[in-house]
Amino acid sequence: MSYLEVDKLNSYYGDSHILFDVSLRLEQRDVVALLGRNGAGKSTTLKSLMGAVEARTGSITLEGRELRGSKSHTIANAGLQLVPEERRIFGGLSVEENIILAGLTAKPAWPLERVYDMFPRLKERRSSRGTDLSGGEQQMLAIARALTRNPKVLLLDEPFEGLAPIIVRDLLAICERLAKEGQTIIIVEQNLAAALSIASRAYILNNGHVVFDGTSAQLQASPEILSRYVGV
Amino acid sequence: MTAPPRRRFRYLAELVLALVLVVAPFTLPYIGGNSDTLSRILIWGLFGLGFDLIFGFTGLLSFGQAAFYGSGGFISSYLLVSHTIPNVFLALLIGLVGAALIGLVVGMLALRRSGIYFAMITVAFGEMFFFLENSALYPWTGGENGLPNVPKPRITLPGFDFSFSDPWAMYGLLAVLFFVGYVIARRIVASPFGHVLTAIRDNPTRAQAVGHRIQRYKLSVFVIAAAYAGLAGGLEGTLQSYMSPEAFTFETSGQLVMQTVIGGAGTLLGPLVGGALWLYLRNELQSALSLGAAWKLVLGVVFVILIMFLRRGIVGGIADLWHMVRPRREDIAPPMLSEAEEEVAATPHRPPPNSERIAIETRGLGKRYGGIVANEDVTFVVHEGEIRGLIGPNGAGKSTFFKMLTGEVRPSSGEIFLFGQDVTKLDVTAVCQLGVAKSYQINQLFPKLTVRRNLMISALSRARGDFRLDLFRHVDSMDELNADIDETLRLLNLTGRADVPVSALAYGEKRRLEIGLALGTDPKILLLDEPLAGMSPQERADTVKLLKQLAIGRTLVVVEHDMDALFDMADRVTVLAQGRILAEGTPAEVQGSAAVQDAYLGGVHT
Amino acid sequence: MLNWGNFVSQLFNGLVSGALLALISAGLTIVYGTLGVLNLAHGALFMLGGYAGFVAYQATGSFVVAVVVGALFVGLVGVVLERLIVRFFYARPEEDQILVTFGVGIVIVELVRYGFGSLSQSVQAPVLVSPIVNLGFAIYPEYRLLAFAIVAVALAILYFVLYRTRLGMVVRAGIEDSQMVDMLGINVQRIFMLVFGIGAMAAGFAGIINAPIISVTPNVGDDILIECFVVVVIGGVGSFPGAIVGGIIAGEIMSLTSMFNPQLSQVMLFAAMTLVLVTRPQGLFGTR
Repeated sequence: MSYLEVDKLNSYYGDSHILFDVSLRLEQRDVVALLGRNGAGKSTTLKSLMGAVEARTGSITLEGRELRGSKSHTIANAGLQLVPEERRIFGGLSVEENIILAGLTAKPAWPLERVYDMFPRLKERRSSRGTDLSGGEQQMLAIARALTRNPKVLLLDEPFEGLAPIIVRDLLAICERLAKEGQTIIIVEQNLAAALSIASRAYILNNGHVVFDGTSAQLQASPEILSRYVGV
Repeated sequence: MTAPPRRRFRYLAELVLALVLVVAPFTLPYIGGNSDTLSRILIWGLFGLGFDLIFGFTGLLSFGQAAFYGSGGFISSYLLVSHTIPNVFLALLIGLVGAALIGLVVGMLALRRSGIYFAMITVAFGEMFFFLENSALYPWTGGENGLPNVPKPRITLPGFDFSFSDPWAMYGLLAVLFFVGYVIARRIVASPFGHVLTAIRDNPTRAQAVGHRIQRYKLSVFVIAAAYAGLAGGLEGTLQSYMSPEAFTFETSGQLVMQTVIGGAGTLLGPLVGGALWLYLRNELQSALSLGAAWKLVLGVVFVILIMFLRRGIVGGIADLWHMVRPRREDIAPPMLSEAEEEVAATPHRPPPNSERIAIETRGLGKRYGGIVANEDVTFVVHEGEIRGLIGPNGAGKSTFFKMLTGEVRPSSGEIFLFGQDVTKLDVTAVCQLGVAKSYQINQLFPKLTVRRNLMISALSRARGDFRLDLFRHVDSMDELNADIDETLRLLNLTGRADVPVSALAYGEKRRLEIGLALGTDPKILLLDEPLAGMSPQERADTVKLLKQLAIGRTLVVVEHDMDALFDMADRVTVLAQGRILAEGTPAEVQGSAAVQDAYLGGVHT
Repeated sequence: MLNWGNFVSQLFNGLVSGALLALISAGLTIVYGTLGVLNLAHGALFMLGGYAGFVAYQATGSFVVAVVVGALFVGLVGVVLERLIVRFFYARPEEDQILVTFGVGIVIVELVRYGFGSLSQSVQAPVLVSPIVNLGFAIYPEYRLLAFAIVAVALAILYFVLYRTRLGMVVRAGIEDSQMVDMLGINVQRIFMLVFGIGAMAAGFAGIINAPIISVTPNVGDDILIECFVVVVIGGVGSFPGAIVGGIIAGEIMSLTSMFNPQLSQVMLFAAMTLVLVTRPQGLFGTR
């Protein structure tokens, strides 16, 4: 039994069938990329794991504990933590309040100092309101908010989207550091080079089906797969 | 199948109602009804007809209808009591018109907002009239005393003089007026105007996007409801020979809402049934069961339970039961006709695009949301008859760009021309009327309407423009319109599902109908936002064929992530990245572009 | 002829009733902001607070006990309502939410009428020093000063809870994006229940404080509810500062108008609402 085991997940938006028997396996300390075109079902997979989209059939087990069908807060407290694509910072709360709020139910939460050590920029802006942050700072805060919960598995949904290259580089360095420290991560990202540089394995989704499951090296060695399912 | 099947019992409801109205005085007195109760029920029913038009059919929950009920009542009663107007009928008519005018003013203010704001504002306006009646208008309304001695109607002709002083004569008059009011309301519901109202209830955003000026529809129906209320108020004054200030209270508005919901909103007769139950229970529980004031408690509990479990009320519940016993023809119709499928399957011949005439042109188009740039400096030209693909990674600004083309979003900079006309400042309704329609990435249908009615909403905007007050025309009599809808149904391969409510469709069928709603406005330019999203491979292939067919005589712009499908149908492809145009060319050119591959694959070269 | 003493005491009357309105509206507006439900039973909860306080006062003779018991009772009723009825309506259309809370309000009013009759009940105002105090420029009922102080403190506490505590932080975050709060491991359903209870408690608390000023009847909440609507339309739905500023504005408009023409005071209130509606439809503190 793997650390995180997703077995034959089927999810719907209303009556639109989005995920078809999606299965994923992660061991502890794994960093896995989830790739595919827009609309392939990557975000839906992460949201289904987080309980934000209801998976109708299948199973999600973390350390053997069944999570499918649980409420999001139960799943979060079991150790999965999504950093959503839209970041969803609480704009009316300060940076520090955003972080404290996230840590309220974590056991144990990261001390604020550890968060600020990883994101010095957030420390500078600790009393700014969420709405006053730049896109890059918002993304940092979104990741910081998840990390402070000390998650067993971190789910990153397009963390680099819409950010300037220099900020992407900084965030990538943080992800690499996390990977090195043994954080288990699933990353959905359009920036393939970035995703494959930190992930050891990758899954490709196409129209809601898993069409590739292998190591990053295997994937990079198969240009035909990349251009068929990811490229133009 | 050509025109929709005309109902065999088209006037069944009218017939049954007439029968009930005639029989009631001879039967109901045996179970505790009397002329006064029956008359009051009819007044509430008439009041409710107008309310059901705005609430049940248009989805506007007003808690301030007492303002119009009271206004109509006091205007006509004052005219009569002061002997300004001796004729009761004329006074009632003036009261009706007065209430409608007040409805116009209140509507213009209250309809600036929707949802809970609208509900709160109507409450406040209702209350404002209550206080006005009691203060500034005291000399005319008598304040807390109301207006006594309102005369009964009287018909005086040479050699003929009849006064409605007998209670049953009064009942007869009210029955006739209610019947006429009901017939009018039924006509309105069956008219093109009425159909647009239901579209506004189900999905105001889409109703606007397919070319209807919904604000004017809402205001019109609000005024109509005020007119009904005004007449009902005037009738109360003459029925009880006394115009009571209670007409203006929040209680009155609340009672109307409760009666309508209990009886069943969206049924026209619901308010009458709810009113009957209300007045009957009040009389019975109060006297017979000696429950005293508890009657309203009982009704309140019933009301809460109905909202929780039987939202369609008594009449709606009965209708549902009836359909369970006798399934509608459409519910058991076969899902698909194979004949139409073959027709679509034939690959259509499409003339090459006309490179002379420009359909869409944008110059330096940009959009900012706060500090975030969605689009910047997009200069884009599509020729008539072209199929243009629009691709780009997530967050490239494709949706915002589409929204600017349709007028849903106002650009921050730049200009948009359609067929040479500057449309930069036009809203979505105006742009649609110029011949541009969009199908949405996430279905935006009218969920409670049938497939045919959905398409009708689109077709009506083309046939009638953005607004028309055609209250008494029957949609079934618009033959050309119905023929067009049949043609669209055939194109979409939905003929066999025409009379099925949207909620019962399969997902693929909904996607096709989504395209159909855009198509129904007969656009010269059709914008498609991920038309293939969520479809099975077979459905994708069918839809691509459909789109190629639609492109004959039209200009198409398609956003799609299914590259195989898109490159198969597009003449040219534009690539957006980070809000700007990255590349443009034939499918082959775009596929060969290193910059494009880079944007998609993020530097991993294949 | 303007009498300064009269003017100042009217100004103060406006402040007292305005603060009371602000408190009730704050309850209405935080419930709407967090749960998305416009609670039309809010006026009935205000009334219920008055009766609960009345009963407690009859039993103990202590005004303080009446206030505490009444407010807690109404808060509890709010929690029960949320669990039994309101929570099933979060996913339903706005109209259904409005209708069901409207119905619940009627049931509460009629239950009280059934139990206590339609006649008014009065609660004796507590006296600290003397029933009437001389402020120098005007003679003024002591209880009104006291009521203002109590309500001001209550508003300050509510502000403190909302803006200076962790619970308030969660509530404010929940107003913005309740699903995200849930995804961060916080049981949002429980927060909703609590917020509904706090909103109800604010109304119930105001109901008892108001009881010695205007005696309680089963219908005392109807007008209050409508005035609250005006307050939140002026202030902006869902905005706590909007409720306070809107409440004070409403109180002053009514109070100052009644100095010249008591009958027009309510009409002026609605005129002010219309003005806001035309010039700034989202309300003074609303963000659309």
